[in-house]
Amino acid sequence: MESQDRIMDGDLQTLGLQSILKMLALSGKTGILFVHSGPETLSISLRKGQLVALHEESYPKSDLLNMLCLINKLDPPRAHAVREASQGNLQVALAMLVERNWMSAEEMQYRLEFAVTQSISHALRWIDGRFAFHRQLVTMESWMQPLEIDSVLLEALRQADEWEEMGETSLTRMTVARWLPEVSNDVRSLGLSQEHIEVLCLANGEVSLQAMAMVLMIPEARVVRIMNHLLALHLIEVVDTALEAELQQDLSNIIIMCQHKLAQRRQNHVPNQHLLGLIETLSQCINGLLIHHGTYAKSLRGRGQLPFTEIVRYLERRFTQPLELLAKQQYPILDTLTFTNGQLDCTEIIYLDKLVKGEKLEEFYWEAVLGLATFLRTVFSTLLNDEVGNSHTGRQLNYVWKAFLTEIDQEIQQYQLYRAHRNTQQMRSRYSENVYQIGPGKSNIPQGDGNLDRLPETQRRSI
Amino acid sequence: MIEPVPTVLVVDDSPTVRKIVQMTLQRERIRVITAGDGLSALTSVADEIPALVLLDIQLPRMDGYHICQIIRKNLQFRTIPIIMLSGKDGLFDKMRGRLAGSTEYLTKPFDSVELVQTVKKHLVGWQQRMPPQYEGMRSRLRHRG
Repeated sequence: MESQDRIMDGDLQTLGLQSILKMLALSGKTGILFVHSGPETLSISLRKGQLVALHEESYPKSDLLNMLCLINKLDPPRAHAVREASQGNLQVALAMLVERNWMSAEEMQYRLEFAVTQSISHALRWIDGRFAFHRQLVTMESWMQPLEIDSVLLEALRQADEWEEMGETSLTRMTVARWLPEVSNDVRSLGLSQEHIEVLCLANGEVSLQAMAMVLMIPEARVVRIMNHLLALHLIEVVDTALEAELQQDLSNIIIMCQHKLAQRRQNHVPNQHLLGLIETLSQCINGLLIHHGTYAKSLRGRGQLPFTEIVRYLERRFTQPLELLAKQQYPILDTLTFTNGQLDCTEIIYLDKLVKGEKLEEFYWEAVLGLATFLRTVFSTLLNDEVGNSHTGRQLNYVWKAFLTEIDQEIQQYQLYRAHRNTQQMRSRYSENVYQIGPGKSNIPQGDGNLDRLPETQRRSI
Repeated sequence: MIEPVPTVLVVDDSPTVRKIVQMTLQRERIRVITAGDGLSALTSVADEIPALVLLDIQLPRMDGYHICQIIRKNLQFRTIPIIMLSGKDGLFDKMRGRLAGSTEYLTKPFDSVELVQTVKKHLVGWQQRMPPQYEGMRSRLRHRG
């Protein structure tokens, strides 16, 4: 950018954004006004004193099309088609919606105007920062009709006042909220207004407060009020994105570790050893998840360093009952498992070969594999529901988890195949022995080398 | 304005690893495509020209070393950074990976933070490494950026 094009610059404390915009509008200037405050930057394009485009940096772009789907204003296949074609450009996406008659031209204009007003309203509240106006710059491409600075400022100031009137709030433009996992009733029965329901629909742990305001075309201050109300009703919770990222990383590492162990033990083709390997992998995975939950469980969060005994008590209280239930109803071998220091102790199963041998041992191992696999699913779904609920992160982790469960299921199926094959072999050999005991001449089965493949079709089927 | 995003190809026979890497990198605004075996991986390299390849060694149909060699022998793709993923952390395996032309070696089970750091390190300047016939696209990306 050439410095001679910069005709005005300064400090926002000396000259506020409102005055700058008024001045540029009155003098009918053409160019771009850059306003910076901390990490935030606003570029406002003016043509002959009218506002023609605005670009806000530093905020992650929200997917308007997806949000329109969430509030039932657009079908997902249509959104997908527009998203592909517009390549993430909001203005192009809106223009395409209008072109395909999926949105009126008036709505597009209103949405673009609303976005501009929101951004200027936010920037009007900046105290520290700098501005610079550059002339002779090509103004940004825009589908928006030029706006009168006065009318934009009037509405932006009104919205800024709404924020100020609200007083202290912990919610910011980037606050992300999600439904509490406990919410399962029909929200219509709660007597909420349409705006409340729409905010609730968008509170999926992914959409920021600013994006909600954009899609619903409700001033941000009003979205704050609605969110505060929903928080008071315990319908939503504010997502700590940093904690969620950390939690996701930790769970990813546990799954990667368990997958690695599973792959390593896959090499073992001796049935007993294969099953034992699966038992060890499953128990390590369960214990990894228990350690994770001891750190990230909702009721243990935000309380600083907790005594180890309290974490252990919590974990045992949470998971002992489902384990006992499984042992009682389906897999009695799980009775041998105990919780020691918040970890599942499988020693008795692992050293079962000291007491039992042969087929019986294999039977026990097999039951333990099935029981532990079921318990593992219970532990994961319980902790995921508690930690992230039905959110974007939750769905992503579930997606990964399902892939891991598929790999475990494949291992289990591999053993099932081996078992089925072995049983068939045993039955065949027993059958051959029977035929032999009946003796030649007493049976009408053709005599030969005892190969069951050569038996008549009807007899093979009965076997 | 559209910000260009790099594409990373993840080649691993485990769906779990593919999905975890995909989830982790997508969080960092990196586009991820995946392949479950060697042949699909080569098809994806030719079709998509990724900015980086994360390549497992033990793969069905064609192992990671072989794929790495094929990519390195092709003038069009030889500058693509290849990070080998392996459960083997022996010196011999690392040397073999290096000889096949890998850029870096990550041992499984890898930490997701380490994975992101390594990928980001090798994605620096990815737009400049795009093959010559993509000059048009490159200039468009530069213009947009």
